Amino acid sequence: MGVTCVSQMPVAEGKSVQQTVELLTRKLEMLGAEKQGTFCVDCETYHTAASTLGSQGQTGKLMYVMHNSEHPLSCFALFENGPCLIADTNFDVLMVKLKGFFQNAKASKIETRGTRYQYCDFLVKVGTVTMGPSARGISVEVEYGPCVVASDCWSLLLEFLQSFLGGHTPGAPAVFGNRHDTVYGPADTMVQYMELFNKIRKQQQVPVAGIR
Amino acid sequence: MADALSIGVNLEAFSQAINAIQALRSSVSRVFDCLKDGMRNKETLEGREKAFIAHFQDKTPLYSQLLQAYKWSNKLQYHAGLASGLLNQQSLKRSANQMGVSAKRRPKAQPTTLVLPPQYVDDVISRIDRMFPEMSIQLSRPNGTSAMLLVTLGKVLKVIVVMRSLFIDRTIVKGYSENVYTEDGKLDIWSKSNYQVFQKVTDHATTALLHYQLPQMPDVVVRSFMTWLRSYIKLFQAPCQRCGKFLQDGLPPTWRDFRTLEAFHDTCRQ
Repeated sequence: MGVTCVSQMPVAEGKSVQQTVELLTRKLEMLGAEKQGTFCVDCETYHTAASTLGSQGQTGKLMYVMHNSEHPLSCFALFENGPCLIADTNFDVLMVKLKGFFQNAKASKIETRGTRYQYCDFLVKVGTVTMGPSARGISVEVEYGPCVVASDCWSLLLEFLQSFLGGHTPGAPAVFGNRHDTVYGPADTMVQYMELFNKIRKQQQVPVAGIR
Repeated sequence: MADALSIGVNLEAFSQAINAIQALRSSVSRVFDCLKDGMRNKETLEGREKAFIAHFQDKTPLYSQLLQAYKWSNKLQYHAGLASGLLNQQSLKRSANQMGVSAKRRPKAQPTTLVLPPQYVDDVISRIDRMFPEMSIQLSRPNGTSAMLLVTLGKVLKVIVVMRSLFIDRTIVKGYSENVYTEDGKLDIWSKSNYQVFQKVTDHATTALLHYQLPQMPDVVVRSFMTWLRSYIKLFQAPCQRCGKFLQDGLPPTWRDFRTLEAFHDTCRQ
């Protein structure tokens, strides 16, 4: 797994989510990228059950269970500032068994789906973030396969992002700052997605075009 | 009765005449039939003649193919002559063998650089290994006496170098995260990298091992090659010295100048 940067693309003025996604994909195709199937990243939230909280009134922790179509046999479980566990897909079944300790907040299930594009050694994924039936935003993920040290290739990634995102290029992800010389892993990508989803959940719903 | 006789004679003549007329009419109708069908008959005869001749004709395109092959081989010979003239301008022999020594006069001393004790090769390699902190070299001899090196450069890339005594024969450059071993656990010296950038660097490394040549001092050659290779530690961090950008067609600057070790894009180098 190469160094990956996940960012959000703001919806263009006066256009819908769908149209902005189409604009992006057209720009990518003009650059010379080839379509290579689809991808999906989803995230479910679990609250620690009230019965397990002590009498001192500890605040419950939120656990996120995520899946990434890039790693179809794995399941990622992470706490906000805590460790990330990479497990088998049977972990979902295990969560059902742990109903007494972790309760699923079904309403906050969020996912992003879209197409994958390959350009030279870059893998670009543009997806529509949906929560239930409504589209809430656009996620852009760029992976540079050959490099595995985040701090090495940020400038390179930035240049590539600028070539098709234009002015909406993001800053360096927080995970890049934390790990200076350690090898980048899929867990870091999932942390970025988790932060993106949390940001989108807090945002207001995207206004439907035409309604002011 | 005479009437009957005379009638009989006349009757004979009549019947003869009728017969004659019948014969005439049938022959005339035959003539007309022949005239009517005659053309067709002629055609079928000609057609049959053609078919008969074609039966014995040679259908294989042997002659035209032969002609093409002759023209092609003539052109090949001409181009090969031109190419050998151009290639002989720069000596490409890397060993110290002298060409053109006549069979009568045996060379007095065998070229020593091709036959070196493996211990000497090991020593040279381990010395180079200690030279650069970010580069580690592992030596193994899975196939006979030729050494195979696995050079790991920081967390950027891995290079497999196949040697022939102290001369570098082939190199393959792969990413740090890519697998360099086959399913058997042996070093995989044939499969290319999955990434275009490392395929490009492999091509450049092959150019480099042909560039650094010094038949009498192969350890200097290996040292220069490793110094050149070490400049790739900043493969993803260095912009191109010519255009100032990081990416060109999706590739970072993969070319390292042989003298100055500066980074250039493949398309930006002079």
